[in-house]
Amino acid sequence: MTAQRQASSASQIPHLSPAELSYLYTSLSLPGTPIRPDGRSPTQFRPLSAETDILPGTNGSARVGFADGTQAIVGVKAEVERTVLGVQALSQAEQQEYAEGNEGADGGAGAKQGSTSGQGSWVQMCIEIPGFRDDDALPVFLSEMMREPLVESVSGGEKDGDGDEGGMVGGLKGRLVINRRWHWRLYIDVLLLSQPLSYPLPLLSLTTHLALLATKLPKLKSKGEEDPFFDDDWNAAEYLYPRVRTTRASIPGSIHKVRPPVTLLVISVAENIVFDPSREEIAVADTVLAISITYDTGSNCLKLLSIRTVDPPSRLTQPSVPNSENVATLGSTAAAEASAIINPSTGEEEVSGVWRPRRGGVKRATIARMVKMVLEKGGVGEEVLDGLEGVEVG
Amino acid sequence: MPLDTSTTYPLTKLRLDGRRWNELRLIQAQISTNPASSGSSYLAMGNTTILCSVHGPAEGRRGDATGGAAGSSGAVVEVDVNIAGFAGVDRKRRAGGSDRQSGRVASTLRSAFQSHLHTYLYPHSTISIHVSILSADGSLLAAAVNACTLALVDAGVPMPGLLCGCTAAMSGSASTPMDPLNDFLDPLLDVSLPEEQELPFLTVATTTSVPGRTDEDEDDKKVAMLTMDSKVHYTYIETMLAVGVDGCKQIREILDGVIKGSSQR
Repeated sequence: MTAQRQASSASQIPHLSPAELSYLYTSLSLPGTPIRPDGRSPTQFRPLSAETDILPGTNGSARVGFADGTQAIVGVKAEVERTVLGVQALSQAEQQEYAEGNEGADGGAGAKQGSTSGQGSWVQMCIEIPGFRDDDALPVFLSEMMREPLVESVSGGEKDGDGDEGGMVGGLKGRLVINRRWHWRLYIDVLLLSQPLSYPLPLLSLTTHLALLATKLPKLKSKGEEDPFFDDDWNAAEYLYPRVRTTRASIPGSIHKVRPPVTLLVISVAENIVFDPSREEIAVADTVLAISITYDTGSNCLKLLSIRTVDPPSRLTQPSVPNSENVATLGSTAAAEASAIINPSTGEEEVSGVWRPRRGGVKRATIARMVKMVLEKGGVGEEVLDGLEGVEVG
Repeated sequence: MPLDTSTTYPLTKLRLDGRRWNELRLIQAQISTNPASSGSSYLAMGNTTILCSVHGPAEGRRGDATGGAAGSSGAVVEVDVNIAGFAGVDRKRRAGGSDRQSGRVASTLRSAFQSHLHTYLYPHSTISIHVSILSADGSLLAAAVNACTLALVDAGVPMPGLLCGCTAAMSGSASTPMDPLNDFLDPLLDVSLPEEQELPFLTVATTTSVPGRTDEDEDDKKVAMLTMDSKVHYTYIETMLAVGVDGCKQIREILDGVIKGSSQR
C-alpha cells in the first residue's frame, strides 16, 4: 500500500518484462490494424453496465461497472449557500447599474451577464480510491482533471437566443445561480469500489456524467431577489441539466440539450491511436491524452473542451539490452545489427524486439488525428455520448 | 405534533416510520455483486445501504511491520470502513479520509471477525474487508456486520455460523430503575437514525453455537459482539438484549435465505 501511495498519477505499472513490453508495443503498432491484448478494435470500449438513481438520499447518483469488475459510484449532493460578494463584484454590479442608467440596451445585457455568471468553486469534486488518501496525488489530479471541463464548459446557450427552452445560460456555473445573493453548491463524490485495474479516468468520467444527468434540484418557488424558497414536492424537481423532447427517433423520451462533458482516455502507439486502453496498453503507450468533449448546443456537433497529457508510465519501465551490447552474448550478434529501424513516431533508432522506455513527446499531427477521431461526425465521441444517452435516466 | 419517539410512541404505539416495536426494517441483500473481489455483498436495511467486498485470504504484504509476526498463527483480518460523503442527510466533509465513527466501526468489526472466523486455517495471510457505506440511516454497525458476513460467505472463508447483528433501543430515556408494576417503556427493534440520536440503544451480534453441541436452548444465543454508547439504567439491559438477540435470529433467517437463494441461481 505504501508503494501505491507513492505512485504518481501514471501509477499502476503492471509487472511486465521488457520482452513482454516489446511484444505488446509491436502488436499495438502494427500499421493500420493494431492487435490489442483483449481483441478489441482500436476504437472499441470495454463492455460496461450502468444504472442511475440508485441512492435515494442524493440529488443524483449513478453506478457504472466494467466487465473486469471495477465499479464506481457517484453521488451528487446540492446545498443552498449564500453568495459572498467580493469588493470587485460589488463595484462591478454598481457599474452595471450605472451603465443601465446611461444606455438602455447595453446596460441590460451587462446586468444579465452579472446575474448569470457563477463561480467554479461552487462545484466540489472528491474522489475516493481504496488504498489512497483523498489528498494523495492521484485522486486530487483526477478530480481536478474532471472538474475543470465541467465548470469551464459554457455551451452556446446565449448564441441561439436566451431563455430558449432547454438551453443553459452560462453553463453549469450559471445554472447554479439562484439569485444575486444565493446559489447552489454542488458536491460530487466519486467512489471507486475496487482497486483500479486500469487508469480509472474513463470509468469515473462516465459515471460522473450519468450522475449529473440524473441530478435534480428542487423547483424554486420564490422569485427574483427573495430568499430562496423551494417546492417540497420532489416530483416537481427540475433536472440540473435541462432536457427537451427528442427530435431523433433513435432515442425514446426526452433528451438533454446541454450535457456535461465526458473525458476520454486516448493513447497513441507508434502510428496507431487506441481508445479506452487497458492497463497493459497504457504501459507501452507513447502518449496518453485525456480529451474532454461535450455537445455544442449551437451547432449541434461536438466541441473540444480540454486536452491534458497524462504522464505515461512507459517512461519508468526497464529497458532491455540489445544483443550487440549484451556482455553475455558478445560475439554472436552480427546478424542482429541489420535490423535497426527508425521508429516513425519518435524518430529514434531502435532494434526490433528490444524495448526502449518511451521518452515522451508526441507529434502534432498525431494529436490532431486523435482530436479528429474523437470529434468527427460518427466518431468515437458521438458514439460514447449516444451510448450514455441510451442509459435510462430518472 | 412533535416528531420524536418519546412523545409520540406512548400515544400511538407506532414508531416514527410506522413500525411496531418488534418489527425490522425491510432487508434486501445480494451476494457476489463485484466480480473483482474474492467475495462481495450488497445489503440494505431500510435506508441504510452498504457495499462490502472481501479480498483474501491472501498472502500478507511484506514490509508491513505487523504482517510477518502477527499472522504466523492465523490469518489477520483487516477492515477498512468508508462512509461516503453523500451518505448522510447533509454532505459531510471529512479531513484526511477517515473520521471517528468509521474508525470505531472498523475496529469493532475487526475484533468481531478476527475472533469469529476460523483464521487458524490460513496462517501468514490477510483477509481484508472493505466496507463502503452508501447511505446511513441508523444501525450502521449492525448492517455492516451483516454485510461483512455475507461477503465472507461469498469469499468462502470458513466460520462456525453466520454472525448477525441487530440493534435494540428503549422507547424513552430509561434513566431511572425499571418499575415492574408500572412499566410504560417498550423495547424497540432495529433503530433508524432519528431514533438512534434520541434513544439509548445497543448493538448486539450473535452467532450459532458450534455444531456438535446440539443443545437446543443454547442455539442462536451465542453473543459474539455487544456495544453500547448511550446511557441506560442497568435494569433495562436485559430487556433490550433479549429483543436484540431475537432480532438477530430473524436476520439470520433472512441472510440464510439470501445465501441459499443465490446458490440456486
